[in-house]
Amino acid sequence: MSGPAVRVAGLSKRFRVARRGAGLGAAMRALFRREYVDVQAVRELSFSLAPGERVGFLGPNGAGKTTTLKMLSGLLHPSAGEVEVAGFTPYQRKPEFLRTISLVMGQKRQLSWDLPAVDTFELHRVIYDVDRATYRRRLDDFVGRLDLGEIMVKPVRQLSLGERMKCELVAALLHGPRILFLDEPTLGMDVAMQHAIREFVRGYNEELGATVILTSHDMGDVAALCPRILVIDEGALRFDGSVGELTRRTRPLRRVSVGARELPPPAELRALGREVARDGDRLVMDVAPADVAALVDRLLALPGSHDLEVRDAPLDEVMREVFRRGVADTGTKGQA
Amino acid sequence: MIGRRLRHFAAIWRLGLAEAVAYRGALFVWILNSSFPLIALALWAGLARAGPIGDYDRPGFVAYFVAAFLVRQLTASWVVWDLERQVVTGELSTLLLRPVHPILHHLMTNLAALPVRALIAAPVAAIVLVLALGDAGLELARGGALALAIPAIIGGFLLNFVVQLTIGCLAFWFTRSSALFELWLALFIALSGYAVPTSLFPGGLAELVRFLPFHAGLGFPVELLLGRLDAAAAARGFLIQWTWLLGLSVTAGLAWRRGARHFSAVGA
Repeated sequence: MSGPAVRVAGLSKRFRVARRGAGLGAAMRALFRREYVDVQAVRELSFSLAPGERVGFLGPNGAGKTTTLKMLSGLLHPSAGEVEVAGFTPYQRKPEFLRTISLVMGQKRQLSWDLPAVDTFELHRVIYDVDRATYRRRLDDFVGRLDLGEIMVKPVRQLSLGERMKCELVAALLHGPRILFLDEPTLGMDVAMQHAIREFVRGYNEELGATVILTSHDMGDVAALCPRILVIDEGALRFDGSVGELTRRTRPLRRVSVGARELPPPAELRALGREVARDGDRLVMDVAPADVAALVDRLLALPGSHDLEVRDAPLDEVMREVFRRGVADTGTKGQA
Repeated sequence: MIGRRLRHFAAIWRLGLAEAVAYRGALFVWILNSSFPLIALALWAGLARAGPIGDYDRPGFVAYFVAAFLVRQLTASWVVWDLERQVVTGELSTLLLRPVHPILHHLMTNLAALPVRALIAAPVAAIVLVLALGDAGLELARGGALALAIPAIIGGFLLNFVVQLTIGCLAFWFTRSSALFELWLALFIALSGYAVPTSLFPGGLAELVRFLPFHAGLGFPVELLLGRLDAAAAARGFLIQWTWLLGLSVTAGLAWRRGARHFSAVGA
């Protein structure tokens, strides 16, 4: 792929949605006169992704993340703007384009519910024209990485959520797509399963050089997988950059935590930073980058000082801040 | 290219067959649900004890309704319900992202269940025949007429499929397209030869009914299978059946194209 994997310019999507009030009266009135409202789900998005990038779409519910993914994968026709994925216009859904991409949605399934997942794998082998040797090699590789073993020969309805998602990922990747769209892939999963899915996606991206575009409510997914994030709110792009950059712009303070046998009274440290929590022998403070060294010196000198840690604010706190204060106040900006 | 397409269809067919086998219990119940011709058989055969009714005597009714039961099984489709569910829940997205057209996917999965249906329905039909007629059995047409029944049954299946597809496509705009299909089904039961052999309708009405898609989908292949049509009537039957098939295929294609466009405009 010589050009960008994804190129989006002025992309917009508007829906016309029926609306009615509550109650029987409103229901009866709606029979004769329906009211519609226009909802602007995506507003003039512009960005470009290079082949092999891992990018996270972040935003609150209804921000336009899934709508954007659906336009990129060809399921939705844009209302305005241009979109090009792997050199194709997605909504034309040409077979060559469909062989290039894959979309995995945490809340939708492509596996046959009452059959073992391996039956759907075999279907995909044929309809995506994967030769048997490549299929066998990829399947063996995926089975090993995801520890599928017995899972893929049980009827899908008998699998747990995490097991099913592992099989969904295998079904989505057997044809070796160069562009992978993941919509909430770890929804409702426990920590171990989330970790397994993240590592699998990372491995696929690194070994095949595939572009990965991920939406997730779980900031852990995004922080662990995506060097680059796009923050979307009310359909518009609010930030395009790295997690670190967003964090430093939104919450420039560093978070310092330490354990000690004896903690000083709050007043003693007030000049160096803001106390966030004090729990037993553990103290957590937010401090300006310039004051980190002084605070660390002071904390290391505490009696029985241990487990001192300096880090950026957690991404979920950063995102809460972004959406609470509004983008203008956070100093974040979009970069088309 | 054609070989590749055929491999795709065969793979979908195999998956459909595996699903049909997995759902064999449900399939048996669906077959019982469509066993109305066997109930009609009991009624009409009982009435015919006193003597023939129209051009049907008692063995004639038994043969007719057993054949109607079998043809119904072999022309069954359920794409209207599948499509409605897929549109309403958004499951259709999965099919839209595969490099095989969703209509061909539905066609193959519907075709895949037919062998399983036939396997379950054939013993039921055989038992009914033995119980009703003893050793006489089902008297089928021979030679050319029997061979012609096969394309007529294929035509009946395709006709049922495209009717359901056309109505199913309404789910792109209305939530419950299957409710409209229930209306179609009511007309089908009355006018297809499912409950009453078409030749028992009063003269003018029978001729009119023979021009409708309901009779073309069931009564026509049944009459052909039983050798009740001469060459001219068979030719006319095919003309009517394949004209409906062509017209409704074009309608279904247009409905699909507009529906899919609407689907990608309003949300998948």
